[in-house]
Amino acid sequence: MYQRTRPVRRLQNRFVLVPLVLAVLVAAWNLYVALHAHGVVAGRVVEADGRPAAGATVILYERDFITQNERGRTTTGPDGGFRFNGNASHLVQLQARQGALRSARVTLRLWFRAQDARLAQPLRLGPG
Amino acid sequence: MRARGMWPRHAALLVVCAIMLVPFYWVVKTSLTGENIYAYPPRLLPQAPHLFNYVDVWYLIPFPRYLLNSVIVSLLAVGGNIVLNALAAYALTRAFPGRRWVVLLLLSCMLIPFQATIIPAYLITARLGLLNSWLGLALPMLSTIVCIFVFKAAFEAVPRSLIDAARMDGLGDLRILARVLLPLCKPAIATNVILSFIWSWNNFMWPLIVTRDPLMQTLPLGLARFLSYVEDTTGALYAFVVMVLVPGLAVFLMAQKEFMRGLTAGATKG
Repeated sequence: MYQRTRPVRRLQNRFVLVPLVLAVLVAAWNLYVALHAHGVVAGRVVEADGRPAAGATVILYERDFITQNERGRTTTGPDGGFRFNGNASHLVQLQARQGALRSARVTLRLWFRAQDARLAQPLRLGPG
Repeated sequence: MRARGMWPRHAALLVVCAIMLVPFYWVVKTSLTGENIYAYPPRLLPQAPHLFNYVDVWYLIPFPRYLLNSVIVSLLAVGGNIVLNALAAYALTRAFPGRRWVVLLLLSCMLIPFQATIIPAYLITARLGLLNSWLGLALPMLSTIVCIFVFKAAFEAVPRSLIDAARMDGLGDLRILARVLLPLCKPAIATNVILSFIWSWNNFMWPLIVTRDPLMQTLPLGLARFLSYVEDTTGALYAFVVMVLVPGLAVFLMAQKEFMRGLTAGATKG
């Protein structure tokens, strides 16, 4: 009996258990990332008075080392909603424009590349 | 009564501990906030802490690749130190002509700084065709004299009669080392693991010289590269520092008991 349990007991020490727990956590995190990394960035654009801004242009900027480069444009629908597909970055900025009006650039920080995200607050158009 | 009389000493130790931990706390705090470290008056508590600086570090440079390089090089160094140092230390516990001179030679070699041996080390590594490779990065760290003496002190503390008994049972030198001495010298092994891991993990000069490809760089080199590439990223820079520190701290915390025992082995007799 003792002979059979000894190899298992040998593995029950912190030098085995700590790396094992870390490996499980890393695997779980990677699984979560794989299930939530479709690159969807969505949100809404509203006028200064809060009404949905239909037909506004939304620009997505992606951060390089020190600069923000434009990566895509889309147009809002009748409800002011917009959606980007295929974002590959973890740090983007969004800005809406409509005629002479424009919103402030909003930075969206993500936990991993291509994380599916939705803006918590709508982009609000103003005189810029 | 006795415990009550100890409080001034404990209080003094707590103050000293706090002073020693302040720089680490400041590094962690800055990594969580990105605050200007020269801001005056300094804020003791972090304002609106977040972990996004760590995400920036992970993605703005090839951090996973640097991490992989550092892990592989450190594992090679740890493995080399345990095997080669144990063999060398066992040889030094045996009687052979000129043993005293070999010990003296090793002790005197400890006085030579690594910077003085870099050119011959580089030439040897180049001749072996190991430049820009994991083995080449680990090569000078595969055996360290300090760790040989840690093993030697531990082996000498094992009763001679035990080794003689093993020899009478028919064990050769290698099996005596592997089956008798090493299982009795776990603190020395832990000391070797921690010291070789930390020295290899923190090594900057040697990887800087032998790597040509940026993807073969280790974490300390990556830190320097990150600093030169990215501007205005105090938080990310300090996050990088924390990410470099954590594996070494984890190894030390896991093996600290054996490490202390290993360092003090042979310090006292009887």
